[in-house]
Amino acid sequence: MLINQPLGPKKVVGTPIPRPDRNASVQTYIPEIAKGLAMTMAHFFRNTKEMALGQRNDPTIESISDGINCVSYPEQRRPYAERFRGVHRLTHRADGSPRCVACLCCSTACPAQCIHIEPAEYPVGDSRRGYERFPARFVIDELRCVFCGFCVEACPCDAIRMDTGIHAAPYDSREQFIFEKDLLMSFKGRDGSQLSENPRHEPGDPTHPGVTREHGGH
Amino acid sequence: MPTFKLDDREIPFEPGDTIIQAAHRAGIDIPHYCWHPGLSVAANCRMCLVEIGPPPGRPAMMLDILKQDPKTGEYIPAKKPKLQPACQQRVAEGMEVKSESSEHVSEARGAVQELLLLNHPVDCPICDQAGECRLQDYWLQHQGKGKRMHDEPVHKPKAQVFGPTIVYDGERCIVCTRCVRFCEEVAKDPVLDVRERGNLNEIVVSPGRQLDHGYTLMTEYVCPVGALTATDFRFKARVWFLRSARSVCQGCATGCNAFLDYDPRNETVYRHRPRENLKVNKYWMCDEGMLDYARAHEDRFINAYVGEDEVSLEAGVKAAAKALKGVDPERVAIVLSAQHSSEDNFALLTLARDFLGSGNLFISGNAEGEGDGVLKHADKNPNTKGVEQLCSTTPPASMSELLEAVAAGKITHAVALGSAAPIDVEGLSSLKKLVLVSPFDGALAGYADVLLPAATWAESTGTFVNFAGLAQESERAVRPEQDARPAWKLIAAVGRELGYAMDWQRLSDVRLAMAPDAGAAVAGSAAAEVSAPTGAAE
Repeated sequence: MLINQPLGPKKVVGTPIPRPDRNASVQTYIPEIAKGLAMTMAHFFRNTKEMALGQRNDPTIESISDGINCVSYPEQRRPYAERFRGVHRLTHRADGSPRCVACLCCSTACPAQCIHIEPAEYPVGDSRRGYERFPARFVIDELRCVFCGFCVEACPCDAIRMDTGIHAAPYDSREQFIFEKDLLMSFKGRDGSQLSENPRHEPGDPTHPGVTREHGGH
Repeated sequence: MPTFKLDDREIPFEPGDTIIQAAHRAGIDIPHYCWHPGLSVAANCRMCLVEIGPPPGRPAMMLDILKQDPKTGEYIPAKKPKLQPACQQRVAEGMEVKSESSEHVSEARGAVQELLLLNHPVDCPICDQAGECRLQDYWLQHQGKGKRMHDEPVHKPKAQVFGPTIVYDGERCIVCTRCVRFCEEVAKDPVLDVRERGNLNEIVVSPGRQLDHGYTLMTEYVCPVGALTATDFRFKARVWFLRSARSVCQGCATGCNAFLDYDPRNETVYRHRPRENLKVNKYWMCDEGMLDYARAHEDRFINAYVGEDEVSLEAGVKAAAKALKGVDPERVAIVLSAQHSSEDNFALLTLARDFLGSGNLFISGNAEGEGDGVLKHADKNPNTKGVEQLCSTTPPASMSELLEAVAAGKITHAVALGSAAPIDVEGLSSLKKLVLVSPFDGALAGYADVLLPAATWAESTGTFVNFAGLAQESERAVRPEQDARPAWKLIAAVGRELGYAMDWQRLSDVRLAMAPDAGAAVAGSAAAEVSAPTGAAE
């Protein structure tokens, strides 16, 4: 606030907008109602004719044109964008075990705090011992989730993804929104695969030299 | 004190200091992996290289190097000063050292960081050290670039079991040899050594041995990276969720300073770490102490009991007061506990001496154990000295004397703090009433008629006096579980139920009542102090 401003109301600065012309036809409503109905009926008959003759674009495949665009959901669906964030899935390793190593980066990054993970260790002698960690429990509360995708960004192992193309289904109780590990691992990506693109080379992978000194090649 | 210059700051030093020591004392951290203030100097990580100005009147020692021009990729002749490791270079008066301000030093640090990460498997998602790892911190501070070497890294044994408490991962190890030096110099049991040379270096345990001396978890703690991990803490929690409380170890009378790391979200204690205190434990802690954190959640009483029945805390306090009401004070034994803080013991002592008028003081605690001459003390109670200081006029008698008195029929009622006992206490079953205030299940708990659940050291702040007479405060980490309350609060509640003026609301009230010579306080003086409420309590 400037100190040397004069007191009192300030001068309004701006361009005045002209008031709508309130002539007799506007004031009596009748002609305007007739105009509006005429426009509506014109749209109605044109759309009905196009629908009957099959001249309309398919809104799920082609672009949306003007006029009525009815998508008969859920039989007809509009295609989702490539980057659509759907329900999470947990990716698999080649041997079917979860990619996830329970590092808790996703639950740390999650702004809704909807991910709960309990880490565990593969026991000595297990063929997957080289992966060391795995999530004994991996729970996502899909009701809390805000589908921001931070968990996918944070995951250092490409273990959690949101590329299923499914959006959270409606259920009739809250418990059903709590997705456990087995359910999350059963989802497939939109390309139908359950593997990830992670090129990480880990002990335990068949191509890895191994975890004992004898395999080290020196 | 003589001074030297570090990055244009005058830093005082004591003769014989190395640069890193003097800087460390002045609160400046020169990045380092292998140097540890409590261990000998190895100077093998090269992270603490600094540029040292030449002595007056002498030319600086410059090395001829070929430097790559980043634009053309050509190598052009250049000069660079000979850098010195700050952990080994003794300070001299007037020396001019450049650490942060030298271009050459920051370049060298980036290069050292790159070398250390050449064969490092970047398995931070799996690694327990993630979040408190020097490699991560220094990479971010001094390098921050991606990897340039795309060959297959050298593979070494992973997840090797070194002993009952430690798992070793050769690939993550940067061979700083801190663990080797620690075993040799502090634990006096040189079981670890380095095998092979160069980038095939790995730490091995002596053949036919395991890493099983009394300080194995300390080797894990001195490891600056995730090479050594503790079986106990492995994959239990992530360090960035943990908060630390400054506590005092409860394992023995040494009273090592520790950090009690807990997760505030689920109020669970996860580990003990040593806290530097040169007067007590320097930088170390023993295995028993580091594993002692687990007692915070084991064998706990979290509800009041009357006989076998679980009751509410109010009912428990009422029952305790009823058990003591109208009993001849000569027949009441007061069992103080060397396991509890001075405040808790003071509360019981006040109740006994000033209100009940009983002078039958006894002391309970764990039995004597083994000392080892490094840190472990034979007395396995954290506060024996504190209890002795409180009752300096009439030293408390031992538990065996209590059993004799009970057998002779002199004692019929008892109020006890803590359930640990050095001897078999079967004789207590002939007591008419035993009121026990204890956080843990133990020897005395079986004979308790009324049991009030006290908070553990992790759930309440308190003072513990170590064997040398040093009083140290242990901070509260988590909130008390369910009905558990600090013992002094429960004792004060029992006192109020009996109609005595023990309206202590918070720990500071208890400490106010504890005069410095609380042990020598005459009966009634403390009571008078307490019965005058401060008014500001609410």
